[in-house]
Amino acid sequence: MNGSTTYFPASRPWTEEGSAVRLHGSKCAHCGVAAFPPHPSCPDCGAENGQDTVRLSPVGTLYTFCEIHIAPKGFATPYAVGYVDLPEGVRLFGQIEGRAADLRLGQQVAVMLGLVRADGSGGAVVSYKFRGLP
Amino acid sequence: MTLAAIAGVGMTKFGKQAERTIEDLGREALVRAMKDAGIARDGIAEVFCGSSYGGPLIGQRILRDLGMTGIPITNVENACSSGAAALREACWAVKAGRADAVAVLGVEKLTRLGGGTLPLEPTDVEVNLGNVMPAVYAMRARRYMHETGATARHLAMVAVKAREYGARNPNAQFRNRITVDDVMASRMVADPLTLYMCCPTGDGAAAAIVTSERRARELGARPVRVEASVLQSGLYKTGFRDMASSELTERTSRLAYEAAGIGPRDVSLAEVHDAFASAELMYYEALGLCRKGEGAAMIERGDSGPGGRQPVNPSGGLACRGHPVGATGVAQIVEAVWQLRGEAVERQVPGARVALTHCTGGGISGLDHGACAVHVLAS
Repeated sequence: MNGSTTYFPASRPWTEEGSAVRLHGSKCAHCGVAAFPPHPSCPDCGAENGQDTVRLSPVGTLYTFCEIHIAPKGFATPYAVGYVDLPEGVRLFGQIEGRAADLRLGQQVAVMLGLVRADGSGGAVVSYKFRGLP
Repeated sequence: MTLAAIAGVGMTKFGKQAERTIEDLGREALVRAMKDAGIARDGIAEVFCGSSYGGPLIGQRILRDLGMTGIPITNVENACSSGAAALREACWAVKAGRADAVAVLGVEKLTRLGGGTLPLEPTDVEVNLGNVMPAVYAMRARRYMHETGATARHLAMVAVKAREYGARNPNAQFRNRITVDDVMASRMVADPLTLYMCCPTGDGAAAAIVTSERRARELGARPVRVEASVLQSGLYKTGFRDMASSELTERTSRLAYEAAGIGPRDVSLAEVHDAFASAELMYYEALGLCRKGEGAAMIERGDSGPGGRQPVNPSGGLACRGHPVGATGVAQIVEAVWQLRGEAVERQVPGARVALTHCTGGGISGLDHGACAVHVLAS
């Protein structure tokens, strides 16, 4: 990779606690619905305030996944992606380390930070992604 | 409740037509539809043009060279449902009494985007992390297979059935028959979806002339009635939702059946949004054409194929007729009208009386789909 590293989202809504990565979501003080990335207003009840920051669990459950073989410029194929359900009631999309053949539905996966793609000038884009737990 | 009549339809051949302009494709479809309806250009009071990647003022760019300017022209973008959403606007413009003859266009030229997967909105969070349309469907397919026991070979059967119909459709992008083994051996796009389980990119246009019932009779056409025209959007969920079924398609089709006063058993044929083979099985269920979890059994029995109990996508569908995104919803209407007039020749569904068309699409984080449209047509 040439060029500098950038982050997605640029606000880097996460904290690292040792090897654990906790994403910062929002949780509505009125109806309790959680969201990630954090929302300025509640996507469920519509409340325009009271969206508290919540640190989401570092481990979730793999709802479904696939392996992508044809992708836009900047992504190195093949790569696995999936939807991960966190205990706070948030479903996240993200890339998963390794090959899809090693994954199974219902598996526990951990949130991590890593390279997701190259930007237009060849710089690394780092974001949250997942790795399978045994 | 009858909304409007369709007095004429027309379309271009679908497929890669890099040498033609999108305006040229649109003009061909519209002229064919106006000739079919027997209506002159000054008889068209209003135009709705659906396109997702056609760029600004696509309708005006098409109509300019036909000398059909000055009238209200509205361009409609709603991803894969652009053409179907344009049709809905036309139907309600007629129903409201605002116009008695409206032209609807669906146009797209995807070859100008280059190859590969469709470009999606760069502000979308999932797009930034590497999501593409085939992956959206592949992930749903894996969950669907997990929950219903459907296998990759069932998905392949859908692709084979599509080609069987497409071989009988002169406007289809693909005209060759293939086998389950061919489908399984084609290259992997997003597992479990292989290339032949994915709709192709291509170019094309389709048009329909929507009129009041009275105007259709005056034109002496053999009108087809529009009995329902329903558009819905997906519900945004930040949490868990069932990806092995389509809530959006279930909701939209339920509203359409209610509006038309019919049920799934009354449908002679359906044109459904089979962007990927797995989706067709899920939509059999969501549209009520079979019971929950029985999509695989339906394709295995041959119910949805030629000579089957309830033919689906006799045009070849998106998989085979092709999917120039914004044109698809109107192309489905063209097929439905030909079927209901008994003009579909080799692929004619015998005794077709009621046709359902279903468009759904648009990759957007947190929504089942961006937009879904269902139309019910009757002879």
